Amino acid sequence: MPQPIADIYLPRQARVEQIVAENSQIATFVLAFCDRSYNDGFRYQPGQFMLVSMPHCGEAPISISSTATRPGNIHLSVRRAGKLTHAMHGLRVGDTLGLRGPYGRPFPMEQLAGRDLLFVAGGIGLAPLRAVVDTCLDQRDRFGALTVLYGSRTPSDIAFQGDLELWRKQGVDCRLTVDAAEPGWDGPVGLVTALLDDLAPELDKSTALICGPPLMFRAVLGKLAAMGFGDHQVLTTMERHMKCGVGICRHCHMDGKLACVDGPVFSLAELRKLKILELDG
Amino acid sequence: MAGLATTFGSGAMTNSINEIENAEVILVSGSNTTEAHPQVARRMLEAVDRGARLIVIDPRRTRLAECSHLHLALRPGTDIPLLNAMMRVLLDEGLADDLFIEMRTENFLALRDMLNRLDLAETAELTGVPLPLIRQAAQLYGRARKAVICYCLGVTQHVCGTENVQTIANLAMLAGHIEKEDTGVDPLRGQNNVQGACDMGALPNMLPSYQDVHNEDFREKFERGWGVKLPEAPGLTLVEMTHGGAQGSIRGMFIMGENPMLSDPTLSKVEETLRGLDFLAVSDIFLTETARLAQVVFPAACFAEKSGSFTNSERRVQMVRQAVPPPGECRADSEIIMELSRRLGYAMEYDSSGEVMEEIALLSPIYGGMHHDRLEQNWGLQWPCWDRNHPGTPFLHKYYFTRGRGHFMPANHTPPGELPGPEYPLLLMTGRIYHHYHTGTMTRKSERLTRECNQAVLQINPLDAKAQGLRQGETVRLVSRRGEITLAAGITDQVEPGMVYTTFHFAEAPINLLTNDAFDTGSRCPEYKVCAVRVEKIMDS
Amino acid sequence: MVHAAAATHSHLLKKDHLKGFLRKLAKEYRLVAPVRNRHSDVLFTVIDDLDAAEIELTEPPQNSLKQFFLPQQERLYTYTTTAEGYDFQPVQATIPPTVYFGVHPCDLSAVLYMDVVFSRHQRDPFYLRRRQGSVLIGVNCNSPAPNCFCNATGSGPFLEMGSDLQLTDLGDRFLVEIGRAPGQALIERWQVFFSPSADKDRAAHYQTFLEARGRFSRQVHVEQAIRQLEADTVPEQVWTELSLRCQDCGGCAYLCPTCTCFTISDQQLDDAGGQRLRSWDACTFAGFTAMAGGHNPVQAKTGAIRQRFTHKLRDDVRQNGRPSCVGCGRCVGICFGGTDIVRFVERACQGSL
Repeated sequence: MPQPIADIYLPRQARVEQIVAENSQIATFVLAFCDRSYNDGFRYQPGQFMLVSMPHCGEAPISISSTATRPGNIHLSVRRAGKLTHAMHGLRVGDTLGLRGPYGRPFPMEQLAGRDLLFVAGGIGLAPLRAVVDTCLDQRDRFGALTVLYGSRTPSDIAFQGDLELWRKQGVDCRLTVDAAEPGWDGPVGLVTALLDDLAPELDKSTALICGPPLMFRAVLGKLAAMGFGDHQVLTTMERHMKCGVGICRHCHMDGKLACVDGPVFSLAELRKLKILELDG
Repeated sequence: MAGLATTFGSGAMTNSINEIENAEVILVSGSNTTEAHPQVARRMLEAVDRGARLIVIDPRRTRLAECSHLHLALRPGTDIPLLNAMMRVLLDEGLADDLFIEMRTENFLALRDMLNRLDLAETAELTGVPLPLIRQAAQLYGRARKAVICYCLGVTQHVCGTENVQTIANLAMLAGHIEKEDTGVDPLRGQNNVQGACDMGALPNMLPSYQDVHNEDFREKFERGWGVKLPEAPGLTLVEMTHGGAQGSIRGMFIMGENPMLSDPTLSKVEETLRGLDFLAVSDIFLTETARLAQVVFPAACFAEKSGSFTNSERRVQMVRQAVPPPGECRADSEIIMELSRRLGYAMEYDSSGEVMEEIALLSPIYGGMHHDRLEQNWGLQWPCWDRNHPGTPFLHKYYFTRGRGHFMPANHTPPGELPGPEYPLLLMTGRIYHHYHTGTMTRKSERLTRECNQAVLQINPLDAKAQGLRQGETVRLVSRRGEITLAAGITDQVEPGMVYTTFHFAEAPINLLTNDAFDTGSRCPEYKVCAVRVEKIMDS
Repeated sequence: MVHAAAATHSHLLKKDHLKGFLRKLAKEYRLVAPVRNRHSDVLFTVIDDLDAAEIELTEPPQNSLKQFFLPQQERLYTYTTTAEGYDFQPVQATIPPTVYFGVHPCDLSAVLYMDVVFSRHQRDPFYLRRRQGSVLIGVNCNSPAPNCFCNATGSGPFLEMGSDLQLTDLGDRFLVEIGRAPGQALIERWQVFFSPSADKDRAAHYQTFLEARGRFSRQVHVEQAIRQLEADTVPEQVWTELSLRCQDCGGCAYLCPTCTCFTISDQQLDDAGGQRLRSWDACTFAGFTAMAGGHNPVQAKTGAIRQRFTHKLRDDVRQNGRPSCVGCGRCVGICFGGTDIVRFVERACQGSL
């Protein structure tokens, strides 16, 4: 008799325990699986994502913004974009949604041990990197200096302010910039690349982790290359439309690679071998 | 319809769709064939692969235009001068088919005189197409041994739609490109079975099989068949009915499978008319914008839930067979009509669609040999099919035109009912896109099709977009003298500067609030293709 | 894998006894075979009445076996959304053990490819519950159809391995080779239908193979296109042209026996719930890759077509050592725009021959 096959597409019910409004478009949902024993045993790594189900909306991939070093909850930080994320923003504490995962290749934390980490993010792009920052902070002596550069459209769009505050207190060098200032803003105005000008990283022990919109992504890549970062020293996580999450449905194709199983985390050296719009366009 | 009927005597594709594959030259006018008639476009591309030359007349650089050898990007509404110029070239260069004109046509001298008075340079100027291109197109078309012209709503939906079609017919007759296999004039029908509806007399002035209601003999035949007295005068056209209801003389209306609340021009007038009726009944498969205004809605069965026949563009009558039973209370249109008729005191008792077909064969000569048992075989039959032994007719007008001789109907340029000016500087054209069908009643309920396309997009040239400071995808306001809508800007060089283009599929951006209800005096078809608009940037609040 | 002994061990089945053999099989299995219907179309069909079915083994069926293992639309779960929460219930489906009879080498190769796709990264429960317990009885192609080019994709006209039983038409009889254990079991169970083959039968088999190989009307240089893709030397012009001609109908992907891309979507049935569906999708659709909010990471003009052919002819060769095009020619027949894989191969190879 054939062995029973695990039902890999079956979402599990999870409950919303807390909702943090990060800005008008982004909220962080603190979730726990309703099945307590499953929740207790649930493990994941920074850079991985979950497939979220909302009633009548199907599924969408959302990267995990919390760290497994703090078990008990999964954080999903979500920007309103399509039907499913709009529905998520209608959730209240106590409501349930469907989750399956974790999926994807995580950030190579072993390889990052001992290195200075430079995080460059724009908007919702800080969500997956937040998982890495918190992991590093929970294992502080494993990693070198931590620097976070974060760009937002306007000061009121700055998300994850609570996290940024906490990170600063723990010695993370956090620098913010906005595209357009508002009254009361005395920080830098301009692209996040400009913040790189003020840094003098020790190249041989630094790795950059980037996540943000395509335009920012390309600008930052150019700048990092000019600063002397090699392609192996730059990591990113790719955003793609996904359905199965397990390397079968192929919606997330990237010139022969699949973002769901070969990524979503890639080094720039790996991406350079692919014809993708993020690098060509 | 009216255009080909007056010149050839029959308003339908003269060829079969498959014949297009064998043509040497294909002239496509006012048809976004790859999006609206992909099965026909398939044959055109097949012909191109076999070496055929493709000429596309379209103001927009459509996908088909990009695949063509010659794209004549005319100013909207200048079809007649463009075709007249081509005909003049044919005359000047001795490419007219004198023998055909002599043997098969009449009224040629009127056309020749008109063409000879034409100033070619001036005419070309009017159309916006360089004269050398027009000349090249005429030479290609005139010299071909087998050439077809395919046209669609870009030709007919103008105030001069009938004359546009007549001018196309003139061109075909002048070159002798008719009466042969793989050669002819082919209007592409916009909807499934619209050909069948026309064939069955869903026209104000025709009884089934194009038997004129003015003709006493025809009327008498139907009166005997149906046992009732028939009106002697033609009925009203669609726009007459939906725009004012003939000054209030219409009190009640029964609308089947039509959604004029989205598809007819100047929607505000349609709504006013329908709301002003004493009684409105609508039969449709979904609750459409029109059905929402009705006192009584009949849920209808869709094509897969009933049996009968459809007639397609190439005059082919084909069986459709019930695949699944209708859900809930839905019934086939024929059942709804029969039941309604019975309660109105006229019993229609047909046990099957086959029985209806027998009556059609009895009263409609072009369907004379069409019975369900014959249609079941192969892929149906093409009319005219006069009797049980007739094999059907793949192409029309062999040896003689339906009306006897082909009649040249010379026409001059008629400007559109409304042109851009200082207040409304852009010319709006409307059409269809690949993923949606008409008013979206059916297609917008498909998850896959809405994934592919779920919003109305206004195509606008990069220069015009820049002038307004528009970004790709930005929501803009589109305003005409009759109304305004909002939709997304799609910046593309598919449209020339000064023109914009969008579709009528989307209820949230009902473009026919804007379109002009000026209509063609021949066919009463509204001028959907041209009106004057302006685009407004919506300021961030 | 072909058992060493089985490869040399073949049997004969007289054509007169084919129906009798199938009747035995139909008692214990659901039987699926290419059947000519009343409109003269040949389709893989579930056979309920063996005597009424006209089984057609020469003309290739219009559909492949894909729909039997990956239905065009399949209900994965029902879901409820109530005050107690939002929950999914598996859909119970009993898939009867099925014999697929008369499968051409291209379609057999396609099933083997699907087996890899649906178990490489993760074992797909919905595919495997249909695939497990299925028996494949292949029939070699003596006369390839006009659009066939399986000789160029290494998947025909004869297949050495992959099926449970493999038949070759030798006129009045079939040579029957045993591919895998379930085939062996069938032969043993109903050995009365079979007789041992002789040297002359095996010689006839080889002769038939040689003749079949000579009957292809197309010469499609698939190997060369694969090399061009791997070397990234396909001219940009080829992609532009094909993309312009592609009319976005998805027909190629739907008919293709190895196009397994799917989507998952919800269909609301009432206020309290609905169903989660898996259905066929196509990488040539723009919506296949468009993300929430509208951004599409695939280059609009040529990206989709590039993906289609690159996946089949480069990426799958890298992964599996062979292309996932099996040369069945179905896309050649269905394509609206003349942008099928044969056209691609021809255009990619032009100027480099």
